Amino acid sequence: MNEELDSQLSAMFDDQLPPGECELLARRLSRDEQLKARWGRYAVMGAVIRAERGVRLNAPLAGRVSAVLLAEPALGAQSLAGALPRRGLRWWQPVAAGALVAGVAAMSILWLRAEAPSVVSPLSAHLTTPAAGARERGGRADSYVVPPAPAVPAIVVPSTELANYVVAHSMYSSPVARRNLLSAFMTSEPAAAEEPQDDVKSAAQ
Amino acid sequence: MSADASDLSLVRRVQRGDKGAFDALVLKYQHKLVKLVMRYVRNPAEAEDIAQEAFIKAYRALPQFRGDSAFYTWLYRIAINTAKNAVVSRDRSPIEYNIDRHDNDESYEMQGRMKDSETPEGLVLTDEIRTTVNAAIDALPEDLRTAIVLRELEGLSYEEIAAAMDCPVGTVRSRIFRAREAIDRRLREVFEGGLGRAEELG
Repeated sequence: MNEELDSQLSAMFDDQLPPGECELLARRLSRDEQLKARWGRYAVMGAVIRAERGVRLNAPLAGRVSAVLLAEPALGAQSLAGALPRRGLRWWQPVAAGALVAGVAAMSILWLRAEAPSVVSPLSAHLTTPAAGARERGGRADSYVVPPAPAVPAIVVPSTELANYVVAHSMYSSPVARRNLLSAFMTSEPAAAEEPQDDVKSAAQ
Repeated sequence: MSADASDLSLVRRVQRGDKGAFDALVLKYQHKLVKLVMRYVRNPAEAEDIAQEAFIKAYRALPQFRGDSAFYTWLYRIAINTAKNAVVSRDRSPIEYNIDRHDNDESYEMQGRMKDSETPEGLVLTDEIRTTVNAAIDALPEDLRTAIVLRELEGLSYEEIAAAMDCPVGTVRSRIFRAREAIDRRLREVFEGGLGRAEELG
Protein backbone atom coordinates (compact mmCIF):
# COMPACT_ATOMS: atom_id res chain seq x y z
CA MET A 1 0.00 0.00 0.00
CA ASN A 2 1.08 3.54 -0.73
CA GLU A 3 2.93 5.04 2.23
CA GLU A 4 1.67 8.55 1.57
CA LEU A 5 -1.89 7.24 1.53
CA ASP A 6 -1.35 5.44 4.84
CA SER A 7 0.16 8.58 6.33
CA GLN A 8 -2.90 10.52 5.23
CA LEU A 9 -5.13 7.84 6.72
CA SER A 10 -3.34 8.15 10.06
CA ALA A 11 -3.72 11.93 10.01
CA MET A 12 -7.37 11.63 9.01
CA PHE A 13 -7.99 9.24 11.88
CA ASP A 14 -6.70 11.97 14.21
CA ASP A 15 -8.79 14.69 12.53
CA GLN A 16 -5.55 16.37 11.47
CA LEU A 17 -5.95 16.22 7.71
CA PRO A 18 -7.04 19.28 5.69
CA PRO A 19 -10.73 19.10 4.69
CA GLY A 20 -9.99 18.87 0.96
CA GLU A 21 -7.79 15.81 1.46
CA CYS A 22 -10.38 14.38 3.87
CA GLU A 23 -13.04 14.48 1.16
CA LEU A 24 -10.90 12.47 -1.24
CA LEU A 25 -9.73 9.99 1.35
CA ALA A 26 -13.23 9.51 2.80
CA ARG A 27 -14.40 8.49 -0.65
CA ARG A 28 -11.62 5.95 -0.94
CA LEU A 29 -12.02 4.73 2.63
CA SER A 30 -15.70 3.98 2.17
CA ARG A 31 -14.90 1.69 -0.78
CA ASP A 32 -11.51 0.16 -0.01
CA GLU A 33 -11.91 -2.76 2.42
CA GLN A 34 -8.16 -3.01 3.07
CA LEU A 35 -7.99 0.64 4.01
CA LYS A 36 -11.06 0.23 6.18
CA ALA A 37 -9.48 -2.74 7.99
CA ARG A 38 -6.38 -0.67 8.68
CA TRP A 39 -8.58 2.18 9.94
CA GLY A 40 -10.28 -0.32 12.27
CA ARG A 41 -6.91 -1.50 13.59
CA TYR A 42 -5.93 2.11 14.33
CA ALA A 43 -9.06 2.27 16.50
CA VAL A 44 -8.04 -0.95 18.27
CA MET A 45 -4.58 0.51 19.02
CA GLY A 46 -6.19 3.57 20.55
CA ALA A 47 -8.47 1.42 22.70
CA VAL A 48 -5.50 -0.57 24.00
CA ILE A 49 -3.41 2.54 24.72
CA ARG A 50 -6.34 4.09 26.60
CA ALA A 51 -6.65 0.79 28.47
CA GLU A 52 -10.36 0.59 27.83
CA ARG A 53 -11.16 -2.24 30.22
CA GLY A 54 -13.98 -4.62 29.48
CA VAL A 55 -14.20 -3.57 25.82
CA ARG A 56 -13.86 -6.53 23.53
CA LEU A 57 -11.35 -5.57 20.89
CA ASN A 58 -12.38 -8.27 18.47
CA ALA A 59 -16.10 -7.58 18.89
CA PRO A 60 -17.98 -7.91 15.63
CA LEU A 61 -19.96 -4.76 16.39
CA ALA A 62 -19.13 -3.00 13.14
CA GLY A 63 -20.14 -6.10 11.17
CA ARG A 64 -23.40 -6.37 13.07
CA VAL A 65 -24.26 -2.71 12.49
CA SER A 66 -23.35 -3.05 8.83
CA ALA A 67 -25.57 -6.15 8.52
CA VAL A 68 -28.55 -4.34 10.06
CA LEU A 69 -28.02 -1.32 7.83
CA LEU A 70 -27.98 -3.50 4.72
CA ALA A 71 -31.75 -3.71 5.02
CA GLU A 72 -32.05 0.06 5.45
CA PRO A 73 -32.55 2.33 2.45
CA ALA A 74 -29.58 4.53 1.58
CA LEU A 75 -29.91 7.96 3.16
CA GLY A 76 -29.45 9.91 -0.06
CA ALA A 77 -32.57 8.45 -1.66
CA GLN A 78 -34.48 8.65 1.62
CA SER A 79 -33.76 12.31 2.26
CA LEU A 80 -34.36 13.22 -1.38
CA ALA A 81 -37.79 11.59 -1.28
CA GLY A 82 -38.54 13.38 1.98
CA ALA A 83 -37.20 16.70 0.82
CA LEU A 84 -39.06 17.00 -2.48
CA PRO A 85 -42.58 17.54 -1.11
CA ARG A 86 -41.26 19.94 1.51
CA ARG A 87 -39.35 21.96 -1.05
CA GLY A 88 -42.35 21.95 -3.36
CA LEU A 89 -44.58 23.14 -0.57
CA ARG A 90 -42.17 25.93 0.31
CA TRP A 91 -42.08 27.06 -3.30
CA TRP A 92 -45.86 27.07 -3.68
CA GLN A 93 -46.66 28.75 -0.38
CA PRO A 94 -46.07 32.38 -1.46
CA VAL A 95 -47.66 31.76 -4.84
CA ALA A 96 -50.75 30.23 -3.23
CA ALA A 97 -50.91 33.05 -0.69
CA GLY A 98 -50.58 35.63 -3.46
CA ALA A 99 -53.31 33.97 -5.49
CA LEU A 100 -55.58 33.89 -2.45
CA VAL A 101 -55.04 37.58 -1.69
CA ALA A 102 -55.56 38.53 -5.32
CA GLY A 103 -58.77 36.51 -5.37
CA VAL A 104 -60.05 38.17 -2.21
CA ALA A 105 -59.18 41.60 -3.61
CA ALA A 106 -60.97 40.87 -6.88
CA MET A 107 -64.05 39.58 -5.07
CA SER A 108 -64.04 42.68 -2.86
CA ILE A 109 -63.99 44.95 -5.92
CA LEU A 110 -66.85 43.09 -7.52
CA TRP A 111 -68.84 43.08 -4.30
CA LEU A 112 -68.27 46.76 -3.59
CA ARG A 113 -69.24 47.71 -7.12
CA ALA A 114 -72.42 45.70 -6.89
CA GLU A 115 -73.28 47.13 -3.48
CA ALA A 116 -72.52 50.82 -4.07
CA PRO A 117 -75.26 52.52 -6.19
CA SER A 118 -73.32 55.78 -6.20
CA VAL A 119 -70.93 54.27 -8.62
CA VAL A 120 -73.55 54.30 -11.34
CA SER A 121 -75.36 57.47 -10.26
CA PRO A 122 -73.05 59.91 -12.04
CA LEU A 123 -73.48 57.86 -15.18
CA SER A 124 -77.25 58.06 -14.91
CA ALA A 125 -76.90 61.79 -14.52
CA HIS A 126 -74.82 61.79 -17.65
CA LEU A 127 -77.64 59.97 -19.47
CA THR A 128 -80.48 62.23 -18.23
CA THR A 129 -78.86 65.52 -19.01
CA PRO A 130 -78.89 65.37 -22.85
CA ALA A 131 -82.43 64.04 -22.87
CA ALA A 132 -83.57 66.94 -20.74
CA GLY A 133 -81.66 69.35 -22.98
CA ALA A 134 -83.31 67.94 -26.10
CA ARG A 135 -86.76 68.30 -24.53
CA GLU A 136 -85.98 71.90 -23.75
CA ARG A 137 -84.68 72.54 -27.26
CA GLY A 138 -87.25 70.79 -29.39
CA GLY A 139 -90.03 69.92 -27.02
CA ARG A 140 -89.91 66.44 -28.57
CA ALA A 141 -89.64 63.45 -26.34
CA ASP A 142 -86.89 60.91 -27.00
CA SER A 143 -87.79 57.39 -27.74
CA TYR A 144 -85.77 55.85 -24.96
CA VAL A 145 -86.67 55.73 -21.27
CA VAL A 146 -84.63 57.97 -19.09
CA PRO A 147 -83.63 56.34 -15.81
CA PRO A 148 -84.83 58.25 -12.76
CA ALA A 149 -82.39 60.39 -10.86
CA PRO A 150 -80.96 58.71 -7.78
CA ALA A 151 -82.75 59.40 -4.53
CA VAL A 152 -79.65 58.68 -2.50
CA PRO A 153 -76.90 61.28 -2.67
CA ALA A 154 -73.69 60.16 -4.29
CA ILE A 155 -71.33 58.38 -1.96
CA VAL A 156 -67.60 58.58 -2.36
CA VAL A 157 -66.42 55.36 -3.96
CA PRO A 158 -64.33 53.48 -1.42
CA SER A 159 -61.51 53.00 -3.85
CA THR A 160 -59.07 54.31 -1.25
CA GLU A 161 -60.10 51.51 1.07
CA LEU A 162 -59.51 49.01 -1.66
CA ALA A 163 -56.21 50.57 -2.51
CA ASN A 164 -55.25 50.52 1.15
CA TYR A 165 -56.25 46.86 1.36
CA VAL A 166 -54.14 45.96 -1.63
CA VAL A 167 -51.18 47.97 -0.36
CA ALA A 168 -51.50 46.48 3.14
CA HIS A 169 -51.45 42.97 1.71
CA SER A 170 -48.96 43.70 -1.00
CA MET A 171 -46.42 41.37 0.56
CA TYR A 172 -48.62 38.46 -0.43
CA SER A 173 -49.35 39.54 -3.99
CA SER A 174 -47.11 39.62 -6.97
CA PRO A 175 -46.08 43.02 -8.38
CA VAL A 176 -48.05 42.32 -11.58
CA ALA A 177 -51.26 41.54 -9.70
CA ARG A 178 -50.77 44.63 -7.55
CA ARG A 179 -50.21 46.84 -10.57
CA ASN A 180 -53.25 45.42 -12.35
CA LEU A 181 -55.51 46.09 -9.38
CA LEU A 182 -54.23 49.60 -8.80
CA SER A 183 -54.45 50.48 -12.47
CA ALA A 184 -58.01 49.18 -12.45
CA PHE A 185 -58.83 51.71 -9.70
CA MET A 186 -57.06 54.47 -11.54
CA THR A 187 -58.90 53.90 -14.79
CA SER A 188 -62.37 53.14 -13.50
CA GLU A 189 -62.91 55.36 -10.48
CA PRO A 190 -61.67 58.74 -11.63
CA ALA A 191 -63.41 58.23 -14.96
CA ALA A 192 -66.66 57.49 -13.18
CA ALA A 193 -66.27 60.53 -11.00
CA GLU A 194 -65.06 63.04 -13.63
CA GLU A 195 -66.82 62.19 -16.87
CA PRO A 196 -70.30 63.18 -15.77
CA GLN A 197 -69.06 66.55 -14.57
CA ASP A 198 -67.58 67.27 -17.99
CA ASP A 199 -70.78 66.22 -19.60
CA VAL A 200 -72.81 68.42 -17.28
CA LYS A 201 -70.58 71.35 -18.24
CA SER A 202 -70.97 70.70 -21.94
CA ALA A 203 -74.71 70.28 -21.57
CA ALA A 204 -74.92 73.58 -19.71
CA GLN A 205 -73.08 75.27 -22.54
CA MET B 1 -7.24 22.52 9.32
CA SER B 2 -10.51 22.04 11.13
CA ALA B 3 -11.16 19.56 13.89
CA ASP B 4 -13.74 16.93 13.02
CA ALA B 5 -13.22 17.51 9.28
CA SER B 6 -12.61 13.82 8.73
CA ASP B 7 -15.78 12.78 10.55
CA LEU B 8 -17.73 15.44 8.74
CA SER B 9 -16.49 14.29 5.35
CA LEU B 10 -17.56 10.73 6.22
CA VAL B 11 -20.91 11.96 7.54
CA ARG B 12 -21.56 13.91 4.34
CA ARG B 13 -20.86 10.78 2.33
CA VAL B 14 -23.32 8.78 4.43
CA GLN B 15 -25.91 11.53 3.99
CA ARG B 16 -25.45 11.20 0.24
CA GLY B 17 -26.18 7.48 0.46
CA ASP B 18 -22.72 5.94 0.97
CA LYS B 19 -23.19 3.29 3.65
CA GLY B 20 -19.51 2.30 3.46
CA ALA B 21 -18.59 5.64 5.02
CA PHE B 22 -20.76 4.80 8.02
CA ASP B 23 -18.77 1.57 8.51
CA ALA B 24 -15.68 3.74 8.93
CA LEU B 25 -17.41 5.83 11.59
CA VAL B 26 -18.53 2.69 13.43
CA LEU B 27 -15.02 1.23 13.28
CA LYS B 28 -13.56 4.43 14.63
CA TYR B 29 -15.94 4.91 17.54
CA GLN B 30 -17.17 1.44 18.48
CA HIS B 31 -14.73 0.94 21.38
CA LYS B 32 -15.28 4.42 22.77
CA LEU B 33 -19.01 3.97 22.58
CA VAL B 34 -19.00 0.55 24.24
CA LYS B 35 -16.77 1.96 26.98
CA LEU B 36 -19.17 4.86 27.43
CA VAL B 37 -22.23 2.60 27.62
CA MET B 38 -20.43 0.43 30.18
CA ARG B 39 -20.87 3.26 32.67
CA TYR B 40 -24.54 2.29 32.65
CA VAL B 41 -24.40 -1.46 32.06
CA ARG B 42 -21.50 -3.59 33.17
CA ASN B 43 -22.02 -6.55 30.93
CA PRO B 44 -19.90 -6.06 27.75
CA ALA B 45 -22.32 -8.03 25.60
CA GLU B 46 -25.22 -5.85 26.75
CA ALA B 47 -23.10 -2.73 26.26
CA GLU B 48 -22.36 -3.85 22.70
CA ASP B 49 -26.05 -4.38 22.04
CA ILE B 50 -26.81 -0.88 23.28
CA ALA B 51 -23.92 0.58 21.30
CA GLN B 52 -25.23 -1.21 18.20
CA GLU B 53 -28.68 0.26 18.78
CA ALA B 54 -27.14 3.71 19.26
CA PHE B 55 -25.24 3.42 15.97
CA ILE B 56 -28.39 2.39 14.13
CA LYS B 57 -30.35 5.25 15.70
CA ALA B 58 -27.55 7.61 14.70
CA TYR B 59 -27.63 6.33 11.12
CA ARG B 60 -31.37 6.88 10.90
CA ALA B 61 -31.09 10.35 12.42
CA LEU B 62 -28.12 11.35 10.28
CA PRO B 63 -30.21 13.33 7.74
CA GLN B 64 -30.97 15.73 10.62
CA PHE B 65 -27.29 16.09 11.59
CA ARG B 66 -26.16 19.53 10.38
CA GLY B 67 -22.61 19.46 11.70
CA ASP B 68 -23.20 22.18 14.30
CA SER B 69 -21.48 19.97 16.87
CA ALA B 70 -18.80 17.33 16.44
CA PHE B 71 -20.12 14.00 15.19
CA TYR B 72 -18.85 12.16 18.26
CA THR B 73 -20.57 14.65 20.60
CA TRP B 74 -23.82 14.00 18.78
CA LEU B 75 -23.26 10.23 18.79
CA TYR B 76 -22.34 10.39 22.48
CA ARG B 77 -25.72 11.95 23.34
CA ILE B 78 -27.58 9.30 21.37
CA ALA B 79 -25.63 6.54 23.12
CA ILE B 80 -26.24 8.01 26.58
CA ASN B 81 -29.99 8.27 25.94
CA THR B 82 -30.11 4.75 24.52
CA ALA B 83 -28.22 3.39 27.53
CA LYS B 84 -30.48 5.23 29.99
CA ASN B 85 -33.58 3.89 28.27
CA ALA B 86 -32.13 0.39 28.27
CA VAL B 87 -31.40 0.62 32.00
CA VAL B 88 -34.93 1.86 32.72
CA SER B 89 -36.52 -0.95 30.71
CA ARG B 90 -34.17 -3.49 32.30
CA ASP B 91 -35.04 -2.25 35.78
CA ARG B 92 -38.70 -2.89 35.03
CA SER B 93 -37.88 -6.50 34.22
CA PRO B 94 -36.34 -8.95 36.77
CA ILE B 95 -32.76 -8.04 37.64
CA GLU B 96 -30.15 -10.34 36.14
CA TYR B 97 -27.44 -9.70 38.69
CA ASN B 98 -26.68 -7.11 41.26
CA ILE B 99 -23.58 -4.96 41.04
CA ASP B 100 -21.99 -3.25 43.97
CA ARG B 101 -20.87 -0.01 42.36
CA HIS B 102 -18.03 0.43 44.84
CA ASP B 103 -16.21 -2.65 43.60
CA ASN B 104 -13.05 -2.14 41.65
CA ASP B 105 -12.81 -2.31 37.86
CA GLU B 106 -11.35 -5.81 37.88
CA SER B 107 -14.40 -7.31 39.55
CA TYR B 108 -16.73 -5.41 37.18
CA GLU B 109 -14.88 -6.84 34.27
CA MET B 110 -14.94 -10.31 35.74
CA GLN B 111 -18.66 -10.12 36.47
CA GLY B 112 -19.24 -8.88 32.95
CA ARG B 113 -17.15 -11.67 31.54
CA MET B 114 -18.97 -14.26 33.63
CA LYS B 115 -22.25 -13.12 32.10
CA ASP B 116 -20.74 -12.75 28.67
CA SER B 117 -22.00 -15.09 26.03
CA GLU B 118 -18.75 -14.80 24.06
CA THR B 119 -16.63 -17.89 23.57
CA PRO B 120 -13.46 -18.35 25.65
CA GLU B 121 -11.48 -18.13 22.41
CA GLY B 122 -12.93 -14.68 21.83
CA LEU B 123 -11.84 -13.52 25.27
CA VAL B 124 -8.38 -14.91 24.71
CA LEU B 125 -8.16 -13.12 21.38
CA THR B 126 -8.98 -9.81 23.05
CA ASP B 127 -6.21 -10.46 25.55
CA GLU B 128 -3.88 -11.40 22.75
CA ILE B 129 -4.62 -8.18 20.88
CA ARG B 130 -3.93 -6.21 24.03
CA THR B 131 -0.68 -8.03 24.67
CA THR B 132 0.45 -7.57 21.08
CA VAL B 133 -0.26 -3.84 21.00
CA ASN B 134 1.39 -3.25 24.37
CA ALA B 135 4.44 -5.26 23.31
CA ALA B 136 4.66 -3.32 20.05
CA ILE B 137 4.42 0.01 21.88
CA ASP B 138 7.15 -1.04 24.29
CA ALA B 139 9.37 -1.91 21.34
CA LEU B 140 8.92 1.52 19.72
CA PRO B 141 11.70 4.12 19.76
CA GLU B 142 11.12 6.72 22.48
CA ASP B 143 10.07 9.56 20.15
CA LEU B 144 7.50 7.43 18.33
CA ARG B 145 6.10 6.03 21.58
CA THR B 146 5.79 9.48 23.13
CA ALA B 147 4.02 10.85 20.05
CA ILE B 148 1.44 8.03 19.82
CA VAL B 149 0.76 8.00 23.56
CA LEU B 150 0.31 11.78 23.70
CA ARG B 151 -2.10 11.50 20.85
CA GLU B 152 -4.13 8.47 21.93
CA LEU B 153 -3.94 8.70 25.69
CA GLU B 154 -3.89 12.46 26.23
CA GLY B 155 -5.86 13.36 23.11
CA LEU B 156 -3.48 16.17 22.17
CA SER B 157 -3.59 17.73 18.71
CA TYR B 158 -0.56 17.56 16.44
CA GLU B 159 0.22 21.20 17.22
CA GLU B 160 0.15 20.52 20.95
CA ILE B 161 2.36 17.45 20.56
CA ALA B 162 4.74 19.45 18.41
CA ALA B 163 4.97 22.05 21.16
CA ALA B 164 5.46 19.38 23.82
CA MET B 165 8.12 17.52 21.84
CA ASP B 166 9.69 20.67 20.42
CA CYS B 167 9.51 19.57 16.80
CA PRO B 168 7.58 20.56 13.66
CA VAL B 169 3.98 19.43 13.17
CA GLY B 170 5.02 17.45 10.09
CA THR B 171 7.45 15.45 12.22
CA VAL B 172 4.68 14.66 14.69
CA ARG B 173 2.46 13.44 11.90
CA SER B 174 5.26 11.28 10.59
CA ARG B 175 6.12 9.86 14.04
CA ILE B 176 2.53 8.96 14.80
CA PHE B 177 2.16 7.32 11.41
CA ARG B 178 5.37 5.33 11.83
CA ALA B 179 4.33 4.24 15.33
CA ARG B 180 1.01 3.02 13.97
CA GLU B 181 2.70 1.24 11.12
CA ALA B 182 5.00 -0.60 13.52
CA ILE B 183 2.13 -1.64 15.77
CA ASP B 184 -0.05 -2.53 12.81
CA ARG B 185 2.53 -4.91 11.37
CA ARG B 186 2.17 -7.06 14.50
CA LEU B 187 -1.53 -6.51 14.97
CA ARG B 188 -2.38 -7.46 11.41
CA GLU B 189 -0.88 -10.86 11.96
CA VAL B 190 -3.04 -11.38 15.04
CA PHE B 191 -6.19 -10.43 13.16
CA GLU B 192 -5.27 -12.39 10.07
CA GLY B 193 -3.56 -15.30 11.77
CA GLY B 194 -5.88 -15.65 14.72
CA LEU B 195 -5.20 -17.11 18.11
CA GLY B 196 -1.69 -17.83 19.29
CA ARG B 197 0.14 -15.61 16.82
CA ALA B 198 0.84 -12.88 19.34
CA GLU B 199 2.97 -15.13 21.51
CA GLU B 200 5.05 -16.11 18.49
CA LEU B 201 5.47 -12.45 17.54
CA GLY B 202 6.06 -11.20 21.11
